[in-house]
Amino acid sequence: MSAELRLPVEASAGFEARVMAAVRRAPAPLPERVWAWLGEPRALAVSPLGGLAAAAVLALLFAGGTWAALRTARAPVAAPAAAAQPAGGAGSVVTFVLVAPRARTVALAGDFDGWDRTRLPMRRGASGLWTLDVPLAPGRYQYAFVVDGRQFVADPSAPRAVGDDFGEPNSVVTVSGGAPRGAGGAL
Amino acid sequence: MSGDASDGELVRRVAAGDTEVFSGLVARHRARALRYAVAMLGDRADAEEALQDAFVRAYRGIGSCREPDRFGAWFLRILVNRCRTRAAARRRGAALFVRDDLAVERAAARPDGDPEWREEIQRALARLDALQREAFLLKHVEEREYEEMARLTGARIPALKMRVKRACDRLREMLREVDHDRTG
Amino acid sequence: MNGRIAAVAAAAVLLALPPALAAQVDRLAGRVDERTLAAVTALVDSARASGVPATPLVNKALEGASKGASGERIAAAVRALAGDLAGARVALGPGASEPELVAGAAALRAGAGPAYLARLRSTYPRESLVVPLAVTADLVARGVPADTATRTVLALMHEGVQDADLVAFRQSVERDIALGAPAGGTAAALAGAVITGEPVMPGNNIPPPRPRKP
Repeated sequence: MSAELRLPVEASAGFEARVMAAVRRAPAPLPERVWAWLGEPRALAVSPLGGLAAAAVLALLFAGGTWAALRTARAPVAAPAAAAQPAGGAGSVVTFVLVAPRARTVALAGDFDGWDRTRLPMRRGASGLWTLDVPLAPGRYQYAFVVDGRQFVADPSAPRAVGDDFGEPNSVVTVSGGAPRGAGGAL
Repeated sequence: MSGDASDGELVRRVAAGDTEVFSGLVARHRARALRYAVAMLGDRADAEEALQDAFVRAYRGIGSCREPDRFGAWFLRILVNRCRTRAAARRRGAALFVRDDLAVERAAARPDGDPEWREEIQRALARLDALQREAFLLKHVEEREYEEMARLTGARIPALKMRVKRACDRLREMLREVDHDRTG
Repeated sequence: MNGRIAAVAAAAVLLALPPALAAQVDRLAGRVDERTLAAVTALVDSARASGVPATPLVNKALEGASKGASGERIAAAVRALAGDLAGARVALGPGASEPELVAGAAALRAGAGPAYLARLRSTYPRESLVVPLAVTADLVARGVPADTATRTVLALMHEGVQDADLVAFRQSVERDIALGAPAGGTAAALAGAVITGEPVMPGNNIPPPRPRKP
């Protein structure tokens, strides 16, 4: 049976021509020096779990301190405008989540609300899970959770801001919304 | 003449900027690669698209081929992934059957083969779980060692061995009946 | 400056600011003391001359105020950010949007270098660079060396990787680093995988040690 399967299969007429046409259209290969520092390619991990479940796994990994947090970004509420200007687009609704069963209040403070400690209170759910949905225009925002009105807590499952100006590192959320980008460009 | 140049030489020339000699690699590897893609995907049109996609990716990433003399093995890795991606994009259970015109085409291309038998094998393959089919094809058609299959697929060797064994068992089961019909 | 003089000076500068900027600075009123307000107002005013927007500077001051930082610390932070934003403005050019400048400033703070920003801009003159710049900064914050971060983002963009996938890439790198992989090698190797279309597999992504080549 394997012998039968090992017989090569001829391609349809013009196959090679189609491949070469596509190859000629493609951006030039990355130069070897680029691959030299890109390193040995490795398989890319994709979580088999969906959204919140994946974030929960991440939260367990990051639960160094008292706070474990989850955050997922959802699809845009409205389709982003196909704007040529970088500032275009309707942005996204971002769901912020913090697991803090012993907190009395949790609020969200960041670049998007002038770091007001009371303007964005989060909603408490079952088992001490605090959540809040915030619509954000495209951009990059620093933020932190404010527990019981006074303690600033970074989001352990979010990227950190580079450096900390005031002694407590912030978390960062980036919302995209620009038009699709073409490939190519010199390396 | 690119017909005489080794794979390694061709890869190095493409990486150095000679786009056209890539056609030599295409010519040399397309039939074996299509064999895998058709057996894996069960549909020739899909297989040719996956193969074309794989070739273009191989071209664009040619600088990452670290052993140019083993282009075939490196290319197979890309093809395996293209086939996975393509299969994942299709709905489960749809279009995994060999079409009649496909059988006719193959019969025309390889008159010394037995087209009906080939088609039966293809049907049986199509009924396997995708990962089992992939492992089976890599081991028994592409004749790869398990270490290489592990690198190709990202799966661990014990899992691969299990898949190959299960695939062989199921294929034997499915084809035994057909075989009895043929010879009986 | 003593308190009263500071207040007067602040008022004077405020009056001289264009209304939009004055409104921005006004958000600080009541949140910081007068001396700090004066200092920040002056910084905002002079930053304006370099084409730097007021909002991020005021946000930084508000952050400090919220966290109870001293006036000196707030002013220092605002000054540093103004410098980064000015650098981003020069590198990204006059058409850069405010989100691009903020992301660019973060990338500069991370050590990406103005040449990197300028190259992104010249290669992609009409497209938003917010996400590439943000991902660069985020990678560095996670421990990827700056030159590795800039090179991998450039390579991925050269291949036509879009914003959503840049973010997914950054998440993959972070997950691997959290599971113990070295930051620089991980980022580079995963970028290579994205480009060649390597197999996708779930779960633990740390590879076994490869056998040495003979």
